[in-house]
This record gives sequence, structure tokens and C-alpha cells, in this order.
Amino acid sequence: MRDHLKFLLIALLQFCLSFAPAHGSVRSEYEVKAAFLFNFTRFVTWSHAENSAEPLEICIVGTDPFKELLDPIRGRLSQGRELQLKYPEITSDLFGCDVLYISESQSRNLNLLFDFARQQGMLTVSDLPEFARKGGMVGYVKQGNVIRFEINLKAATDAGLTINSRLLELAVRVLR
Amino acid sequence: MIGRWRYWRLKTKLLFLTLFTSALGISLVCISLILVENQNYRKQLESELHVIGGILAEQSAAALLFTDREQLGSIISSLKRIGTIRQACIYTPGGAVLSALESQDRRPCPDIMQPLEAGFVGDAYQLRMPVTLDNETVGHLYLTSHLDVMRNHIRTFVLVTIAVGTIILLALVVLALRLQRIVSEPILTLSETAERIARDHDYTIRAPVSGTDELGRLGSTFNDMIGTIEQQNRRILESRDSLERIVDARTSELSMANRELEAFSYSVSHDLRQPLRAIEGFGQALEEDCGEQLNDAGKDYLRRIRAASVRMASLIDGLLVLSRVSRQPMENESIDLTNLLHEISDELMNIDDSVPTEVNIQEGIQVVGDSRMLRVAFQNLLENAWKYSARGEKRRVDVSAVETAGSITIEVRDNGVGFDMRYIDKLFVAFNRLHTPSEFGGTGIGLATVYRVVRRHHGDISASSEVGKGARFDVTLPVSRR
Repeated sequence: MRDHLKFLLIALLQFCLSFAPAHGSVRSEYEVKAAFLFNFTRFVTWSHAENSAEPLEICIVGTDPFKELLDPIRGRLSQGRELQLKYPEITSDLFGCDVLYISESQSRNLNLLFDFARQQGMLTVSDLPEFARKGGMVGYVKQGNVIRFEINLKAATDAGLTINSRLLELAVRVLR
Repeated sequence: MIGRWRYWRLKTKLLFLTLFTSALGISLVCISLILVENQNYRKQLESELHVIGGILAEQSAAALLFTDREQLGSIISSLKRIGTIRQACIYTPGGAVLSALESQDRRPCPDIMQPLEAGFVGDAYQLRMPVTLDNETVGHLYLTSHLDVMRNHIRTFVLVTIAVGTIILLALVVLALRLQRIVSEPILTLSETAERIARDHDYTIRAPVSGTDELGRLGSTFNDMIGTIEQQNRRILESRDSLERIVDARTSELSMANRELEAFSYSVSHDLRQPLRAIEGFGQALEEDCGEQLNDAGKDYLRRIRAASVRMASLIDGLLVLSRVSRQPMENESIDLTNLLHEISDELMNIDDSVPTEVNIQEGIQVVGDSRMLRVAFQNLLENAWKYSARGEKRRVDVSAVETAGSITIEVRDNGVGFDMRYIDKLFVAFNRLHTPSEFGGTGIGLATVYRVVRRHHGDISASSEVGKGARFDVTLPVSRR
């Protein structure tokens, strides 16, 4: 009996969700996040990037939640630089990365990664909860069905990154 | 308009010309100003909208990338402050509307993927531009601006231009009223002077000459002309005066001579009667008292003397009549000529009815003139008719009249012996006779007297005849001048 009720509730929820706002239903959460990841790179200036012809490397640290969803952004140009994806196994492979996507599996190594990113001038992005408050630079936030993001400007500035004010305007919260 | 133009006064013409030209100029300037302003304002509006669109695109690029409707909404709602924007839509690259500023008439955003008419369309300006980031199109932008503001601006501009144009025109009216005097005043003065000269015939008047332009030259030429006329006039008057003096002198000399001559002829005629009466009287006494003592030859001589003296008396009478009709003052009165002619013919009938006589006188002939003179004239004419038709078996005298414009012609016709037309020149000259006294008696003064009377009435007389077929006299008299 209780199982029945539970099943019904879930079915009802699913039914309701299917009528959620259009874009939510059209694009999956990680599809949006992948697009966002690409878009973030367009509004960030790296202080160490003297040669703008170099490829822009996005490193997925830990378990890759995107899988093939990142394929559309692979090879696209961001500020004239070609986007490349890397999936490093260990932290020693992180050299040369411009963007670090920290997946849930690396939540224990956050401080280590943050320090490394600050020293190397990398942009840290993650959908871990309270990511920006913890010291990450750009963290995904889900508001209802809409994916938004938070920015820790202080962390970015410490790492020598400049974030375009247009991006800051769009952020749900900017930590300074 | 053109027909009346020539009746306009010079002042009005000048004023009209000035004002017409300036009004034309001002309106042309106004129209071109309005056109240029309209063009400029359109360009300004266009560039303004492009700037707005550019800013909007730049601002909304990031929000478009992140499909942040909230941010887009706040960006687009800032356009509300710009009064000219009617509608603004932001589209995704795929053409879906992400955010829109509602138009007042709640028109939906047009489909951006369809080709859109850009620029001034109807009562709006439409603008469509891509939103780009790093040369990549991340969305589209659609803006329409209503032209009310522009219309109001142009309307205000037109009103101001018209007002300023009117003020300028009014100022020009005042100015032209003053300035046209510079041109028209000398002409008007000249024309007034000319009129005064023509009216008063006073050639001493001169037109005031101002300046050395064409008007000044016209004035001085006019004055020269008037000077010449004045001189010539004076000369004409002088010669006329001298002529008049000469004529007066001659006339008085002539009239004196004439008077002397008339007095002489009158006195001669008058004085000749005395001895004639003596001859006649003593001749009669001789015949009565001593007739028996004379033989037949003596009696015959005495009869001839008496007959000659009678003829001479009648000759003198004729001369006196002729002199009288020449000297007598004329009277002008209406005369019933028919009545007059009847009286004369009755008298003649009483004197001589040896031949059966038929007289036809047209009824109701009315003439104007001196009754005594006209009686003398027609008496002579009828007497002649009587006299020269006495040889036939039957006497016939016709008098008729024909009135034409301004004159009346009286025709006296007889069936007498007539005369030879070769001697017509001598007919009305005194003492000229076409017949011998043995044929017909007479003095040769009668027709001369008739001629004199008719001429004094400003009329005319003519005669025509054929020998043996009667004569015809036409007397033409002017109809009453009253």
C-alpha cells in the first residue's frame, strides 16, 4: 500500500515535470551546463595567456558528468582560442589547464585544487553546492528548473583572472 | 488678373512685385529648410536608433548566451525610458523570442527569420541587427520606433518657419512701402507734373529732377521737352498775335471799303431815282399836255423815253433789293414756305393770266430763315418761271421739296423755254442775261439776288435745263439749327 502511494506520487511528479518551462524540457541540465562552461570562457581574461593563439584547455577533474554533452563545444573558438578538453587522472597532470571543472568526486580535494588553481591562474568551475563560498570561482546554482551561477570574484582576482562585468551582472551572487 | 494688371497703380505694382518675389523666396527657403530639417531629423533618428540598438546588443550579448531572461528583461525594460521606442524584441539565434518590450498596440514580435523591411516603414522605423560576440552571432535584435516625436518636431519646425516667414514678410511689407517710394515718387511727381501741364497749359512748370539715374535723365529730358514746347508755344503765340493784328487791320480796311462801296451803290441807286422820276414825270406831262402837238414820230420817241425810264426804275429797284439782301441783318424764323409760295403765285396769277396756268405746290414745306429775303428769292424764281413759260399754250409750274439729313431741297420746275446749259456760269451773275430784252423783259439782277439770299442762308442753288423743255432750279437750305 505504501509502495503504491509512493509510486503514484512519483508518477504525478514526473507528469508535472513534463509540463515544466519549455527550455528546461528541451535541454538537459548538463547540456546547459556544458554551454555555460563554454560561455564562461568567453568572459574571462587570463593574465598569463600572452599568446592568444594557444588552445584553451578545459580540464574535467574527477568523474566526468558531461560525457558526450561536451562534444559540441570541443574545438569551438573562445576569444580566438580553440577549445580543448582534457580529462587528467591526477593533480600532477593539471599543468597547462586554463579551466578546471571540478566534479563531485573531487569534493574532498577542494582546498588543494583551489591553491593550485590560484597559483597557476586557472578558472575553477563546479556544480558542487556552496562552491563559490568555499573558495571556488564559478559555481552552478539551480533555481527551480533554471541553471544559474555564482561567482567568487575575490578568488578569481587572487588567481589573476579578470571576469567581464557582463558575466558578473548575470551571476546570482558575486562574492567579493 | 493679367488684364487688370495694367489698371493697377504704379505703387501697387511695385509693392506687389516686391512682395511677390520675396514671398516666393521666403517660401522657397522655408520649404527647403523644412525638407532639409526633415531629412536631418530622419538621419539623426536613424543613427540614434542604431546607437541604441548597438548598446542594447552589446549589453544583451552575455545574457543571451546564458539565456538569462531576467537580465534581458531588465535590459530591455530600460528602453521604456526612451520615448521613441515602440517595440523591442530579442531573439535567440534560432529565432525564438527571449524577451520583448511590449508595444502599445500589443503587436507580437515579428518572425525574425523572415526577411523584414528595414528603415522607414509606414509610420515607424524598423531596425534589425544581429547580436554578436567575438564575431559570432549569439542572437537577434528587433527595434521599432514610432515617428510621432519626429512628426511633432517637424510640425513644430514647420509652424515656427511659417511664423518666422510671415514676420519677415510683414517686415518686408513695411520696408517695401517705404522703399518703393524711392522709385515711384519721382515717376509719380513726373506724371503729376505732366498732368498739370496738360490741364493748365502752363509750360513754365518744371518737374523736379533727382539723381542722375534713368529717372533723373527722364525728368531732365521731360523738362527739356517742356522747355522746347514753351519756346515754340511762345513763338506760335507771337506769330498768331501778329497775324491777328494784320488780319484785324486788313478786315477793318476791307469792311471800310465795303461799307463805302455799299453806301456808294445805295446812294447811286437812290440818287439816280430823282432824275429818273423827273424824266418820267415830265415825259408823262409832255405826253398829256403837248401830245397833240407832236407828230407820230415824236409820240413814238416820247413813249420810248418813258418805257426806258420805267425799265431803268425797275433796274434801280432791283439793285436796291440786291444791296438790301446783302446788307440787311438776318433773322432766323420758321417759315411756312407753301403758304408763301401760294401768296406769290396768286399775285402773279392776278398780274398775268394770259395763258392757262397750272400751279402745283407741295403742301407743308417748312424752312427756317429770313422771311423777307426768302420771299424775295422765291418771288424771283416764280416770276422767272412765269415769264419764260408765257409763250407756250399752257403754263405749268411745280414746286416740291425733299428733306434729307441736315438739309431740305426745294425744286422749282417750269415748262418754259429753258436755257442753254453752256451759259450756266453766267446764270447767277448780276446783269448777265441769256435772252434779249426783246424776247423776255428783265433786269438780269433777279437770279443774282436769289443766289445772294441762298448763300446768306448757308444754302446752295443749282439749275438745269434744256432749250425748249423748261427749266429746273434746286434750292438747298440747311434745316433748322435750333
